Amino acid sequence: MIDFSLTEEQELLVEQVEEFMKRGNYDDYFKECDRERKYPEKACRDFCEEGFHLLDCPEEYGGSDLDLVSSVLMKLKFYEYGWPALTLPGGALEIDNILTYGTKEQQELIINEVLEGRKAYTMGFTEPQAGSDNSAMSTKAEHRDGKVYITGHKTFNTYATVSRYMMCVAREYEVLDKPKKDMSWYLIPLRDEEGNLTPGVSIHVLDKIGCHCMPTCEVYLDNVEVEESALVGVKGKGFYQLLKNFETERLLTCVSNVGYAMAAYHDAAVYASQRIQFGKTIGSFQIIQQKLVDMKIKCDNMYNMLLRTAWKKSVGQSIMLDASMLKRYTGQAAFEVLDDAIQVLGGIGYTNDTRIARLWRDQRGARIYAGTEEIMVHSVARALINNEAGTQ
Amino acid sequence: MKYVVCYKLVPNESSIGVGGDKSLDFGGCEWEIGQYDLRAVETAAKLTEASPENVLIALTVGDAVVENSKLKKSILARGPQELLAVKSEKLANADSLATAQILAEAIKKIGDVDAVFFGEGSGDLYSQQVGNMTGALLGWNTVNAASRVEADGDGLLVERNLEDCTEVLKISLPAAVSVTSDSCVPRLASMKEILKAGKKPSTIEPLEDYQADGDRKVSQLSLKVLDKTARKCQVVSDDEEGLAAAVAWLRKL
Repeated sequence: MIDFSLTEEQELLVEQVEEFMKRGNYDDYFKECDRERKYPEKACRDFCEEGFHLLDCPEEYGGSDLDLVSSVLMKLKFYEYGWPALTLPGGALEIDNILTYGTKEQQELIINEVLEGRKAYTMGFTEPQAGSDNSAMSTKAEHRDGKVYITGHKTFNTYATVSRYMMCVAREYEVLDKPKKDMSWYLIPLRDEEGNLTPGVSIHVLDKIGCHCMPTCEVYLDNVEVEESALVGVKGKGFYQLLKNFETERLLTCVSNVGYAMAAYHDAAVYASQRIQFGKTIGSFQIIQQKLVDMKIKCDNMYNMLLRTAWKKSVGQSIMLDASMLKRYTGQAAFEVLDDAIQVLGGIGYTNDTRIARLWRDQRGARIYAGTEEIMVHSVARALINNEAGTQ
Repeated sequence: MKYVVCYKLVPNESSIGVGGDKSLDFGGCEWEIGQYDLRAVETAAKLTEASPENVLIALTVGDAVVENSKLKKSILARGPQELLAVKSEKLANADSLATAQILAEAIKKIGDVDAVFFGEGSGDLYSQQVGNMTGALLGWNTVNAASRVEADGDGLLVERNLEDCTEVLKISLPAAVSVTSDSCVPRLASMKEILKAGKKPSTIEPLEDYQADGDRKVSQLSLKVLDKTARKCQVVSDDEEGLAAAVAWLRKL
């Protein structure tokens, strides 16, 4: 028998998040942060005071060794309550990467940042000419006098205004014709403890249409000097390390897709039960009912697919295909649900008085960042066809 | 110190069904720890955490719901090290005195208890009797309406907000203290405590092991939902004139 129920512990964990969000009553605050384009400092401080930033920390670093499914369930609840995209303190991806590839010293460095409630690093792989095509990357790592000098132009760096570090992927230019065998990861300090930028680093904030609570930036690296010990993982294996990073990143990005869709479905259903037109609630019109039913089906599908993928990763199974399909499906389905929710709310849904407008703008970005929906097809289609062909 | 905190499992208000005759239907109810009792748990947990030698035991009585494993974990994740529940089907509808008699007996059985804490009333019937009755049955110093409780040497300092002053009482132990709903903000159970809660000891004892009979001492004639009152839709402006009109309107009620 397949058991779809949560464990008692998972139910209690989720209830604590719910209680935290109800007590905090952050709706107006999130609206203000979005309007003023500011980081939700107060909510994040409360979040850390309750210890939620330790969600993904191993026990030896003060965490609870929480399994991935439970961690996803808790984050889902934060997003269901409208937590602004990209601002949950902690860092499952950062921790996952550093525990997989980092040295003991690097692990301590990064986890200490997480323990302080800060975003530990921005991932630096996208470049203006290297978006979906990572192999077109040109940032260069030069090895001189026992040091490494990094020069290049990275873009779409989320957290670059607040993180101490960048996990920078750079070309060694040792295997010129095979870029995939020529990349390495370096942990570059972007700023010191006082916040002064590292010599050679400059940062420019991009003007986005959503995700206003967390800036996304362009980062210029001009001969930025780091020690050889800044190498993370194996020299020349950076591309393959990226593939593993992408799996986790895609899975985690989808949590907000699903949470926002569930929030929008909830708001739309409540509105449909209250809004009177032509003498009755709009929820009594079949055209609205159909929308709500289809929204709920999509929410349930996304939820199940998300938890199944998290479960597969937590038991050590490959999610290479699952994560990409999850990213493609939840990106599109969540957008449809959010868009339909705006339609159900009508004119008021298109104003920033409702949270749906913000969630709609925030979620739109998640159809692009962490891998576009189109590149998800590229990632899985050939493998799917080969898998089926192999069963003949 | 050895502390006990009493709590009642009550139906979640929003899940109570209402019959056509306005009777309450608890059939499909979800259960939870009484919100007032969570204040008592927090007060007792804070006192307990002052020394690793202190012990806090959670105590409840009720029907089969006391065996609900999630609810047991829920209370054990908020500070108590162990749990004792007295169970009988007849306790589904126990009144204040019947409940207090069992609690007092259980506290004596636990032995060497220095203080027992209660919420100001239960989350369902809110009669505000059980704490005082239990204290009286035990013959202990008994205080209710405590808005603040602190350890004070081998006793407790208890603050009570009266109409025009705050009373500070120094009471010796053993004592029974009921705390108000504004005495503290109950903690959220931490992730670590939730994951550990299932491993903490919990004991369910049948009422038959007790001398108390659990029978109601008060007959309940009926329990019905109040009629919904239609909103008056009176709009009051926020100037002096509006305020005077509001006062005049309230006086007429």
